[in-house]
Amino acid sequence: MDSFGVFRVSASALAAQRQRMNVIASNMANAHSTKTAEGGPYRRKDVVFSAEPENSGVDGLEGVKVSDVVADTTPPKMIYDPGHPDADKNGFVAMPNVNVIEEMVNMMMASRAYEASISAFDMSKANLMKTLDILKA
Amino acid sequence: MSDGFTILDRLISAAGFRHRVISSNIANVDTPGYKARDVKFDQILGSEMRLSVTSPRHLGGNELGSKSELTAEEAQSWVDQNTVELDMEVSKMTENSMLYQAGVSMLATKFSMFKAALKE
Repeated sequence: MDSFGVFRVSASALAAQRQRMNVIASNMANAHSTKTAEGGPYRRKDVVFSAEPENSGVDGLEGVKVSDVVADTTPPKMIYDPGHPDADKNGFVAMPNVNVIEEMVNMMMASRAYEASISAFDMSKANLMKTLDILKA
Repeated sequence: MSDGFTILDRLISAAGFRHRVISSNIANVDTPGYKARDVKFDQILGSEMRLSVTSPRHLGGNELGSKSELTAEEAQSWVDQNTVELDMEVSKMTENSMLYQAGVSMLATKFSMFKAALKE
């Protein structure tokens, strides 16, 4: 039995949620970027989580990892702005498919999940410290 | 005499196992397709915690089978087929943690009782 595996599971969740928050922050920062290295407007990114058993699952432990960061394939928003340098011949500009409100909601969800993992971590630590107190008995 | 130790050991192991399972549920709160799991205590402790019965009117004589240790929870699933309910998991973890710490406290008390007996 691995007493410290539970800490790795909580830490894997913290790392995954942090990466998700990084991706969301990039989406919000680029909500109006019409130029990218690969051409065209910025495309919204999203993380894909997958469960990853610790110690081949014998301890009931399953951590989480970011298996992929994928681009959202919804088409860009077309906005009429003839004066924009990236406007097409009809005066429309392709803007990123980022919805700032949606990103805020995702950010809050990531933040709550992060907090929950911190609570789980704290509780694991409290249990282990209490176990060590048997030595003082 | 040593039965108390065995039972407490079982209790602490079972609560520790359940703690790890709940931690995994919380870690996978956003993993698509993840099914929340739980440990059925009666099933694990059943064989160990059963009290010896000398009269049919005694409690604890019932057979608690140990079918499976890990069960997938039957809960409503979200759009992404994930069945973790974060608030439920946190409350279960708190409850389980109290049980774990109670078990540890009892074990520590038992040790100090033995120590006191040895000193006299």
